Amino acid sequence: MTAVRIADVHKRYGSRRVLDGISLELPRGTKLGLIGPAAAGKSVLCKLICGLEQPDRGELEVFGESVVGKREADLGPLRKRIGMLFQNYALFDFLTVEQNVAFPLEHGFGTQSRDRAGGELTTEAIAERVAARLKAVGLAGSERKLTGELSGGMKKRVGIARATVADAELVIYDEPSAGLDPVTTQKIYDLLAADQQRTGATVLAVSSDVTALATFVDEIAFLYDHRIVYRGPAATIADSPNSLVRQFVRGELEGPLDQAGPGMSSDRSVT
Amino acid sequence: MISAIGAGALRIAQEVGGIVLLAGQVLRALIPPRMDTRELWKNLYKMGNRSVPIVVLTAFFSGALMMLQAGPFVKKFGATGLAGWGAGYAVLREIGPILIALMFSGRVGANNTAELSTMTVTEQLDGLRALAIDPVRFLVVPRVIAMVVMLVALTAIGDLVALVGATLIGRAMLDIELSSMYYSITENLKPYDFLHGIYKSIAFGVAIAMSSCYFGITVRGGAVGVGRAVNAAVVAAAVSIMLLDFFLTYLTG
Repeated sequence: MTAVRIADVHKRYGSRRVLDGISLELPRGTKLGLIGPAAAGKSVLCKLICGLEQPDRGELEVFGESVVGKREADLGPLRKRIGMLFQNYALFDFLTVEQNVAFPLEHGFGTQSRDRAGGELTTEAIAERVAARLKAVGLAGSERKLTGELSGGMKKRVGIARATVADAELVIYDEPSAGLDPVTTQKIYDLLAADQQRTGATVLAVSSDVTALATFVDEIAFLYDHRIVYRGPAATIADSPNSLVRQFVRGELEGPLDQAGPGMSSDRSVT
Repeated sequence: MISAIGAGALRIAQEVGGIVLLAGQVLRALIPPRMDTRELWKNLYKMGNRSVPIVVLTAFFSGALMMLQAGPFVKKFGATGLAGWGAGYAVLREIGPILIALMFSGRVGANNTAELSTMTVTEQLDGLRALAIDPVRFLVVPRVIAMVVMLVALTAIGDLVALVGATLIGRAMLDIELSSMYYSITENLKPYDFLHGIYKSIAFGVAIAMSSCYFGITVRGGAVGVGRAVNAAVVAAAVSIMLLDFFLTYLTG
């Protein structure tokens, strides 16, 4: 069963080409990492899956339901099955930390949970889940703070708590470890892995920290020159047969990435 | 030159079209009325209560100014019985609604645009959409209702304070009896004079709310974009207030 199916998706902003014939499938319950140079279109791909942006052409299905050309109101039920962590957090600055995390639950998310009452979670159940989630991301004691009072790393952890509090069936993490120190990064990935094991959710994680990402996901796809040019096991990503991926993962200055640069290469089968 | 004029006209048409479309979305969200009541109450308090001091100050001195301007002439012609009517007529029908709307636009409208545009550039609106919440229903509708309701309420308060200001200044600086002012106001001014200003304040409230919300949610370009959006919203609101005032006065007398 496929959670996400993307076929020949194209996306442009004005004259700027962002995605050029992306095709990707995510079977249910799998964890896929997405890596690529800055401005390669990784975040745009995440937003397309969530229906926040529409592709110019191509097919995009989530849980067998097409999101292409759908009205905002019709995307609601599908979005309630998706948890999303934004690259820039997208926390609501008019709410406190705990209100941010409780927000999805108060608006009908997570009602598939065992502790629902009449289709909606009780206030006590929401408070309990929020407290547990904040404790899990190391933010117990920061419940009453406004998001403006938090550091970048703390904001990221609030975003993770909000994205995971409702036990969504598909979770998209856009840079879950950006702004976090190595120890917290590993703790966060351990937490995400434990969550995924518990819920069986399908995960798409975008990250520049390939080493940490590889400990969490099953496979990694490399987005380059507006396309997915490689997809392979996460455990062996550093020894990928694709020279672009090898250079990117190892952070080497010399290589095909350096010669072509993002968006300039026409050779998509470099090995 | 011609192409610049054409481009300017197209841009204005685009903005006006965008505001009308947003107004349509707001109307659709109101039938049946479904909105976050917490957001509505929060905005009613923030936009209304906290604007009272500045509105009272503005209204008091606008009434006082009307009296200062008219006072010497009514004294000269011995028509002190018309002083209250003169000040009240101008305040209730024109000066009160316009000045309070401009103050409201500068304080509440600009703040609203800054808030919404900051939320837009920090992807908070996308965050709402990702949580299956319509930003127009959740953020724009409560703000539009709060701004219209509170501008009407503030205009009514401002009218009263302006008349008090005119009366006190008439007594203190022009020696016009309080009773003379009272009878001049109550016997010469009609309820329609007050309602005329209230109708205008409803229209001004809608114009301020729609322009401030529209420029807030369509902002592009980070912090610079936020500044531009606030500027555009304040200018659009001020121009709308003047145009609406002219046409409403022309059409309703």
